Formats: sequence, structure tokens, C-alpha cells
Amino acid sequence: MTATCAPLSQLRAGDEPEYGGKSAALGELLSAGIPVPPGFALSRHAQRPDGVDAALREELGAQLAELARVAGTDDPPVAVRSSAVGEDSAEATFAGQQETILWVRGLDEVCAAVESCWESLYSVTAVTYRERMGDGREPAMGVTIQLMVDARSAGVMFTCNPVSGDPSTIAINASWGLGLAVVGGEVTPDDILLSRVTGEILRETIGDKRIEYVPDPGGPGVRTREIEDARAGVRCLARDELDALLDLARRVHAHFGSHQDVEWAIARTGSPPDNVYLVQSRPVTTLAPRPRTPPPASAIAMVMAQFGAGPGAAGR
Amino acid sequence: MATSTAEAPSAFPSPFAIPAPPGGEGWEEMYPYYALFDEHRPEDAERFWFWNSMHFPTPAPVFDVICIDSPYQALGVWQNRVFAVPPAAGIDYRVVNGYVYIAGNPITDPEKIAERADFFQRRAGYYFANWPELYGRWKERMESLIGELTALRVASLPEYEPDEIAASHGVQTTHYGVLEAYNRALRLGDAMWQNHFEFLVLGYGAYSTFAEFCRTHLPDIPDQHIAQMVAGIDVVLFRPDAELRRLARLAVDTGVDEPFRSGRTPAEIDADLAGSDAGREWLAALEAIKEPWFNMATGDGLYHTYRNWKDDPTIPYASVVGHIDAIRDGRGVERPTAELEAERERLSQEYAALLPDELRAPFGDLLNLSRTVFPYVEEHKFYCDYWFLTNWWNKIREFGALLADHGFLEDAEDIFSLKRHEISEALDELTLSWATGGAPLGPHHWPPLVARRKEIFAHLDEWTPPPAIGATPEVVTDPMFIMHWGVTTDRVREWAAQVEGGTRLTGAAASPGTVEGPARVVRSAAHLADLQEGEVLVCGSTSPAWAPIFPKIVAAVTDIGGVMCHAAIVAREYGLPAVVGTGRATSQIRTGQRVRVDGSTGVVTLLES
Repeated sequence: MTATCAPLSQLRAGDEPEYGGKSAALGELLSAGIPVPPGFALSRHAQRPDGVDAALREELGAQLAELARVAGTDDPPVAVRSSAVGEDSAEATFAGQQETILWVRGLDEVCAAVESCWESLYSVTAVTYRERMGDGREPAMGVTIQLMVDARSAGVMFTCNPVSGDPSTIAINASWGLGLAVVGGEVTPDDILLSRVTGEILRETIGDKRIEYVPDPGGPGVRTREIEDARAGVRCLARDELDALLDLARRVHAHFGSHQDVEWAIARTGSPPDNVYLVQSRPVTTLAPRPRTPPPASAIAMVMAQFGAGPGAAGR
Repeated sequence: MATSTAEAPSAFPSPFAIPAPPGGEGWEEMYPYYALFDEHRPEDAERFWFWNSMHFPTPAPVFDVICIDSPYQALGVWQNRVFAVPPAAGIDYRVVNGYVYIAGNPITDPEKIAERADFFQRRAGYYFANWPELYGRWKERMESLIGELTALRVASLPEYEPDEIAASHGVQTTHYGVLEAYNRALRLGDAMWQNHFEFLVLGYGAYSTFAEFCRTHLPDIPDQHIAQMVAGIDVVLFRPDAELRRLARLAVDTGVDEPFRSGRTPAEIDADLAGSDAGREWLAALEAIKEPWFNMATGDGLYHTYRNWKDDPTIPYASVVGHIDAIRDGRGVERPTAELEAERERLSQEYAALLPDELRAPFGDLLNLSRTVFPYVEEHKFYCDYWFLTNWWNKIREFGALLADHGFLEDAEDIFSLKRHEISEALDELTLSWATGGAPLGPHHWPPLVARRKEIFAHLDEWTPPPAIGATPEVVTDPMFIMHWGVTTDRVREWAAQVEGGTRLTGAAASPGTVEGPARVVRSAAHLADLQEGEVLVCGSTSPAWAPIFPKIVAAVTDIGGVMCHAAIVAREYGLPAVVGTGRATSQIRTGQRVRVDGSTGVVTLLES
């Protein structure tokens, strides 16, 4: 029988066709020693037409018990995310087309969340998107289930500048609370460009961060709350946190050998770098095309070109 | 997809329509006829002129016009007549209300450009191939020019010529010497400027080619890092401060550091030091470094108002005080040259490693060429702008003192309120009346003129010059404008926008490209259905659910969001320009209004009111 369930730490990039891009990438991160919240993954073969069946429910229960043991608490909150096959691949970025359900607790809720992920595969937006991207493969869906990080701040990070394509910069978008607000475009995040070479802040725009996602005290799930004025207009990352993110960016890029777009979270407890986690990594697919004209033969020829006395100009 | 703008009136004022500031009327008389906008050159209104605030940050003093003429002669001759830089001849200047505006003379005829390219390849190629040797000779020439300037004697006019004149035939009389010295001083200035520009165009060219290469392939690299990779660690410009650090250490070591406290004048400190043997030794050590290291200027400009450290030691004394404080606090004051060197190599290697394989060799070659030319780029300022020029202004002051001695001026400094030809005229009359013993008119003629000009000048000083005048160019192509002044097409657009006022929104440059189209302001998902093909989506923010509408639109503009929000990611996926986080797009823009979205710079321009 084909495996349906595996701890994230056992997965590698080659497992993408079975477990989907998200789970496979998290397995890769763990193999490189990069901090990722513990979790497990369901493969595409776990999917049942009528929802979670008894056998899968039992398997989920066993895996959740193991997470509870690691977390040292009963029914620890987990994040349940779709991990579509073909999603997050180098060919296409299915930006947020699939489901993410945060702060899920207990077996019943996890089963329901897994079913939501499966359903999201057929959502109108995802199908439209797939048609547009010309992905002819049969849609299939894995699921990633991880311990939640109760984030004081979170966001996304590119190991290069996704707009300019500059490989010597690290681009960070950050806001208070869980990463949902940044990913969903619901706040104007702090927008920070770091030099990969020196770590200095090259450019930053402090966002006017009006809301944050926090665990819903009344039960499962998350809710938004307003951010008080004192925090709304200040940078939500301290210098040592920037340093920790920069270090992770270098390591992730080195491990995959290509630029990555990661989601990160910094836990309320602990201190950097130990409380800084990555919760997702995928190849950057939307880099602006870099100039690729072969540069002229010699430095002097390039200078000549700069003055309009030769073909091309400065390698452009 | 990008469309060019329709013919529109320039955002900048016409050079023929700029009034004098109140009290500044009549300023034209202070400047050469050829420096003015004149109806006989009506085409000037169609040219793009920008204020050269880098070199001429305040109104040009009357005499200092020579430091506009002479540099542009020299720049022009090297760029246009010697190296024949293919797309650009020289630079024209005009004066408006005392401020210096410049415009390029582009070469656009392809045949002419090809003809010039031959000259340029051959001649510039020779310079690049022989740079260190040519530059070595250049330094010798500059030191000899400075030597001649220093030796140039401005004699006072004696009651009787000395015996030698009567005793030997052919020795020049004093008045002849004065007239010749003035002419020689002017020509020495020209000679300095000629040397100044010999290497400048090529030196900046090589450096800026490297900088441009970096910016093309590493678009976010700070200019500071580019300079750090190229700049020398041990260059002449650092020597003056290195000597001050050494003197600070000497003061502490010999126990004469007590007088160096902030708030005290150099004269007060000197007086204290003169009271002890150790103090006098320190002063002697200071005296020993003044030539040449106190020929640094107090500022970076081409006007006579910038003095050197010998004339105004406030800056070097303040530096010594700072260094002594650092030593007392146990901090080192010596420059960590080994660490600077190591950091320079680390930066160079890290950036090289981040480049694709095929770009690493050209990066290294360009870096090496830049390091070869850079000593000149850095050091010419010390030789020319500081060492020569501050002493040259002082030589002119000697002529001012001569004229003041005879009542032609109230004060030696007033010489800078006269044109160089007027000084020639004044010296002509002074020597004539001295020789004949007749009554000079000069004391009645020049002081009132100086007084009137000072009055006008004060009013020009208060005027705020626009960054540019004349036509708004579609693109800026002049290599020197871009390399040296940083006047790029983008910069000019920003200036134009500032002039226009509230027709411009800025946000994060989220997805590159430029496009124009009618806006559709969408305040909620319910109104998405109204979107028409080819419209610019203007909204508060987008959600993933909006992805299906992106094929319809030509650009996206949001009030809120960063470069990694969904609107930005999806826009990049579809290759659409996007500007996000503008803050006020939905309130500022109306549905149907034409807008231009520049997703590369993060600027949204409202094209209709």
C-alpha cells in the first residue's frame, strides 16, 4: 500500500509528486537543520471522496498524539495547510489559492480542516488560476499539519529582491501577530530591504499596521484585533531578529541553490535566533528577467560602450 | 505597452520668463554678455537646462565667473575636441539671477557619432593602456604649476624704481611686471583647469561603467559599497587627516593636550602652546606638515569663499580636539588600514560570488580598471580644487590688496566683485597714473560699482532657483550628466512632478513596467463586475479571490500593501505594472481618469484633472 502519512522530517524534495510542494520543502528545510515547527504530512493518496475515513482518522490521531508529546501539552494548536501537487513548484506560484486553517485543536477539528483543504482544490479561483498557468496535470492535494507558532511578528522573506531581482539583497515584509495579515495583504507591512553582504538596512518603509491576527481566546481559530497606536507605526523586528532572518535566508538559499520565498514567524517566547521559525519555503518564480546579453570582451570595450563608442553598453 | 506622453507644455519655466528677485534687478550687468539668455538664441527655450548646484551652490561672485568659463572650456576641449566622446560635445552654461544652469550639446547624427568613435577608441584607448605612467607625469606637471603660482610676485608700486632698472638694459619695470603677473595668473588658472579635465572624463567614465555594471546586475547595491570596492585605502586625500591624528597623538604623548578643548579658537590654543617648550615643539611639528597638507579647502566648491586650512585652521584644530578626546577615552585614532583593506576585499569577493558565472570575469576586469583610474578621480581634487585653487584665489587677493592700497577698492576682497577684464582695466589705469603721476579716476569709479553689485548680490542670494528650466526632456542620454551629476531621466521626471504638484502618488514599486490607461476605482468585490478590459485597477487592496480579474486589467494600484502582498505577486505573475501602498489612490483617483502607472519606480501619475 502507498504511504499516506509521514513526519515532515522524513520528506525531501523528491516527495513532491506524492506529498505536494509545501510538505516536501519543509522536509528539505529540516534536513538542512533550519528551524521548522514539527509536524507531519498527508500524501495525495490520503484523499478520500467522502471525507476522512476511520483508518485515516486513526492515523491522524496517532500523529497528533506524537505532536502533543513533542509540544508537552494536550491538543496543541496546529496549522493545517493544503500542499497541492504542482503548487509552489518552480513553474508556478499558486499564490494563496489553497486553504490555510490556523489554530486548529483536537482530532475532530483537524479532520474537518483536512477536508476543507481537499475541497479547496476545486475552488473556482484555483481552477481559473490553473487554466491560466496551463498546468495540465490532474489536480491532487496533500496536506501539511504543523504545530502553531504563537507569533509576536511574522511575515514573508525573499532571499533576493523579488522586484529588482538583485541577488545581493534580502527582502522582508513583516507585521505584528500571525503571518496571515501580511500574506493576505490586509495590512501595509514593514517593508525592509537588507544587504545580504553587510546586513545593513538598505531601505525600509515602516507600514501603518492596523490589525493583527491572534489566537481566538474563545475557541479554535484566529481572530483579528486592532493594533494600538504605539505599536502600529514602529518596526516590528528588532536588529537581532533581522540578523537571525538574514542568516536563515543565506542558509535556505545555499541549501536549495536557488532563491526562495519563505514565510517566517517569531515566537512570543524565547529569543533570537532560537525563536525564529520558517513555516514555508518555495522557489521564487516571479523574478524580473535579468539582463543576459553577453558582456563585451574587455573592460575597456565596456567603457567604450558606455561612451557610445562600441556595441552594447555596460553588459546590457 | 508603454506609451509616450503627448506634447505638453514643459513642467519647467521658460528661461526667458524668469523675473529678477526684488532688489536683484540689473544683475545681468555682473555677468558676461554670452552667459545670458538672449533673444538671438531663441532655441535656448527648447533646451533642457539644469541648475549645477553641485559646483555653484550660490550665486556666482562676479570675478568667479572665470571658474565657470575656464572649466567648461577645458571640459569641452578634452571631451569634444581631443577624445571626441561620440554622443556628446561640450557643455553650455547660462546664468539666471546669478545661478549657473548647464545644458549639453548632444551629437545625434549617426555618421558624426561613428566618425567620433574612431577618434575616441584610439585616443581614449591610449590613455587607458598607459594610465599609471600618464598620471605620474600629470602629478609632476601639477606640482610645477603650483610652484609657479606660488612664486608669482605681485609687486607693490614703488616711489622710485630700484637702481638695477637704471643699471641694466632690458630688465622689466614694476608696472610691466604687475600687468604681466595678472595675465600670467589668469593663464595659470586656465592651465590648471586644462590639467584638471585631462583625465576626468575618462576616469569618471571607467568608474561609472563599473558602477553601472553593478547597478544593472545588482540593482539595489548601495553606491557606498561600489565606492568601497574601488576606493584606495592609502590615498592623498586621507593624508591631511592622518597627519592631524599623528599630531593629536604627539600632543598627548608630550603632555601638551590640555589646551585642546572644544569651543576654543585656534589662536587661543596657539597662545597656550607658545608658553612651553613642548608646546613650541608641537607648533613646529604642525608647521612642518602645512606644506602641502594644509592646502585642504574648508568646503567643496569652486568659489573664492572656500579658503584653505592655512587661512582658516578652524576645521583642522577641531579635528585635533576630536582626536585628542578619542585618545583620552582610550579609543584608537589611527585608521585601521588593514581592516579597511580586508573589508574592501570581502565586499568585492562576496558581490562577485553572487553574480552569475559569466559575469564574474567582466566584474573583476572592470573593478581592476576602476582601481587603476581611481587615484586620479580622488586625488585631482586635492591637487586642483584645493591646493591650486585656494592659493590661486589668494594670488588674486594680492592684486586686490594692490588696488585697495591705491584706493581703487575699499577692501582687497572687493576684487571678487569685479569682472576679470575690469580688473585688467583697473590695473591699466593704476599703472598708468602711477607712471605719469596724474590723478586716477579709479577711486571714484570702482568703489560705487562694487557697492551696487554687493547690494544686488545679497538679493540674488535669497532667491530659490528651480532645479531645471527650459524644455522637459523625454530622456537624458548625456553620459557626463548621468555619470557626474546623476541627472537621469527619472530624476528629471521627479523634478517635473514636484513642480506639477498634486498629480502624483508614490508607493512601493511592486511589479515593474509602465503603462497608461483609464482608472477603475473598485471599493469592494461587488464592483469587480464593472471592470472593463484595459483598465487600471485602483483599489484598497486585493484578495486572492480577485485573481481571475487580472487578465482584464493593464495595471494595479492599491492604497495598502507591500511588494509581497497578493496584488503584487499576482501582478508580477501576469507581467502587469503595480504600485501598492500609495495610501490615497482610491480617494485621489476617479473612475475613468487616465493614469500612468510606473511599477518600476512606484509612481502613479494622474494625467487628467
